Amino acid sequence: MTDVPPVLKLTEISRTFGKIKAVDSVSLEIRKGEVIGLTGENGAGKTTLLKILSGIERPDEGRMEINGQVANFRRPTDALKAGIGIVHQEQSLFTNLTVAENIEHQNIDRSGLGRFGIQNWGRINRSAQEVLDKIGVRLDPRARVGDLSFVDRQMVEIARAVSVDPDMAGTPLVILDEPTAVLEQAEVDVLEREIRKLREFASVIFVSHRLDEVLRICDRVLVMRHGALTSDRSTEGVTKDELFRAMVDETPRLSKRDRAAPPQPGPAAIAVSGLTREGKYRDVSFSVRPGEIVALVGTNGSGRGSLARTLFGAETSDSGTIEVAGTRVGGWTIPRAVAAGLAYVPAERKVEGMIGGYPGTRNIALAHPEAARSGPFLRHAKMARIAQDWFDRLGVSPNDIRQPLGQFSGGNQQKVVLAKWLNNPDLKVLILDHPLRGLDVGVSQAVNREIRAACDTGTAVVLIPDTIEEALEMADEILVLKDGEVTARHDMRTADGLAVQEIVAEMI
Amino acid sequence: MADAAQSGGGGTRAAGPRTAPRHGGAPFARLFGATTGPVGLISALVVLILVFSVLNPRFASVENLQNVLFQVSVPLILVVGATLVIQMGSIDLSVEGIMGAAGMAWILLSPNTRLAIDLGVWAWAVGLGVGLGLGLLTGLIYAKLKVPSFVVSLGTWYVGLGIAILLYGNSSLPSLTSDALERWPTALTLGLPNSFWLAVAVLAAGVLISNHTRFGRGLMAIGNNEPIARGSGMPVDLYKVAAFAIAGLLCGLAGILATMQLGSGSTDIGFGQLFIVIPAAVIGGTALSGGEGGMMRSTLGVFLLIILNNGLVLAGVDPDYQSGVFGLLLLVAIIAVAWPGRDRLKVAK
Repeated sequence: MTDVPPVLKLTEISRTFGKIKAVDSVSLEIRKGEVIGLTGENGAGKTTLLKILSGIERPDEGRMEINGQVANFRRPTDALKAGIGIVHQEQSLFTNLTVAENIEHQNIDRSGLGRFGIQNWGRINRSAQEVLDKIGVRLDPRARVGDLSFVDRQMVEIARAVSVDPDMAGTPLVILDEPTAVLEQAEVDVLEREIRKLREFASVIFVSHRLDEVLRICDRVLVMRHGALTSDRSTEGVTKDELFRAMVDETPRLSKRDRAAPPQPGPAAIAVSGLTREGKYRDVSFSVRPGEIVALVGTNGSGRGSLARTLFGAETSDSGTIEVAGTRVGGWTIPRAVAAGLAYVPAERKVEGMIGGYPGTRNIALAHPEAARSGPFLRHAKMARIAQDWFDRLGVSPNDIRQPLGQFSGGNQQKVVLAKWLNNPDLKVLILDHPLRGLDVGVSQAVNREIRAACDTGTAVVLIPDTIEEALEMADEILVLKDGEVTARHDMRTADGLAVQEIVAEMI
Repeated sequence: MADAAQSGGGGTRAAGPRTAPRHGGAPFARLFGATTGPVGLISALVVLILVFSVLNPRFASVENLQNVLFQVSVPLILVVGATLVIQMGSIDLSVEGIMGAAGMAWILLSPNTRLAIDLGVWAWAVGLGVGLGLGLLTGLIYAKLKVPSFVVSLGTWYVGLGIAILLYGNSSLPSLTSDALERWPTALTLGLPNSFWLAVAVLAAGVLISNHTRFGRGLMAIGNNEPIARGSGMPVDLYKVAAFAIAGLLCGLAGILATMQLGSGSTDIGFGQLFIVIPAAVIGGTALSGGEGGMMRSTLGVFLLIILNNGLVLAGVDPDYQSGVFGLLLLVAIIAVAWPGRDRLKVAK
């Protein structure tokens, strides 16, 4: 390690947008084979730093050295040539092309893979196979990416990131931008194994909000706050609380739900009995009383997402019954569910939860426009007032109800999606599918606060959490689903000291 | 699915319970550019042929087969261009206008009853040039000025039609006077009409472009996700213009061939072609949203529609009913084809 230059060395890198210092004099070094965790709240400057590393943004000040050579990126392909590959938060693969094409499409100009614009399929497939072998992933290079599972696609992204240039002298740097945000536990394990293999020939920057993972996977952890590096420590001996303190200005309150409150009498807000959808879930029965939170935990194939959609009328069931407020419902559709006071926050926020081109006002008025209506007409002034109230209450930033929602960060979008449903005085059942997906600690706490507030006013909550910790923190009752069947139930009001490992064992 | 393909390629990872990759590796499915072979399409085609053969034995005759191939030629040339454009998520509606302009330009410069000019091979160059030019115009306005191709190509349709009408003027109908040119489209080579051979050559070039060139695969990538295509340094605008230019060129070629087949010039030589070409691509599985389908599948779509048309005539359906019946059957065919894909319209988890 003596005369080998660091894979990446940043010296006082800064980038300013207007008055905001997005990246503020960041200096760091990454050595060969190191796995570095990078964490911080949304808006702490991680994204801008990654953009600088990948050649999308140029720093105003500072020096960047890669494998001992000063780097001056003008465009993304420069970073790729220097051996920096990024796996983005949102997958950037062509799902209609093959694995090999996705891995190699930036390299096809290189001699051998194609000539005169005609692709040499044999060589492209062989070259991709070599990359896949190198990172130890068994995938058919000729498979269509759209046919792969999510985690396999992520492997393709990693392969693409390290495929950059096999003849490069230095060590490649692979940046994983929140790769685990949408993965289930079993898939995270696969990814962790992959990262361990990667470090044999590459350095890795692992960006994540999940501190447990950062501590488990990485050698060193960097924390950013307000554009600056506030902590750079070995993961050995550092605690989650210390990282929290480096991330946020206030000390975190690890709030537990007050479970003393007994369930309210009367019929359940929603109850299902013997509910079955072929190939998804079988014979599921449970009920949620007003003010209660029931968490559905399980892997991605457990059928819990499909179950949640069925409750909301977005999917049909083959047999079994659904009762809402004590009345059995038939021909359950989304309009009927919404009229009955049900709400659904989908996992695919951008696709199903919001209209990106609409401003906050119109997004909030989507589900329950009644409040802003006079006769058959929508009153824009009233809509704006309602939206402004929600923006203030949830602290949506920027506090601009007229800006298209698509331009907001994920966390602020999620607040607005939530407001769309909370904007209903007769909210009976709130169904949440991965409500904290991709959100930072601060926004997560705000969202959880609103969920609890809804509970306190008598709303029943069905929660599909990202993590088991989230279930333990929020739920009154936990249902464990495995391959579509309920394998365990835990009443959190009586169960004490339930361990995460126990639940994982029931899931898989 | 295509198990044979797995053994050669390193197999699949046995990661999670959800890992059930399907493979587009079988040569047959690969040729058709999809994960599943177009079994439904081919069986629909077989059923149609059987039904029409029973209704009228003449349907299965050699003469009728040659007739079908003759009719297939023009839309087949058109569908190659249309597929390239639709694969990248755009649409080209200018087909009929470009055909009119190119066909008219070609016949006026070839041996004809109106003008005593015979440019010989240069007449082809001018005709094709008109098509290429109009295609370039569509492509440039679409790619550079960011106007939706739907609207731009509606415009170029009428520009083309306008050119054809101006060229036609109000004097006599231009008819071909060269026997050789007039007979060429129907003349048989190896038992099949020359028109069809021309279309086959175009189709072969189309398959090569679509499946084996950076450009062709780039169009698929653009149709799948344009921002990523841009972000990875692909010359997206150039590809867009090129796709429309090729489509325009092929419209020009189709206009010339159709004019030759008819033996005289007509401003609406392309009448009804758009109604064949776009449904053919869609029936073949080329989603209008882009990124899906392939040349061979569009070809099957063309055959399906032309055989349907031909069969209805031979089955003795009253001419007054033919349009309506054709339209209805077209709806049935599209629903049948779209049915297996309806899950894909839902948001993927």
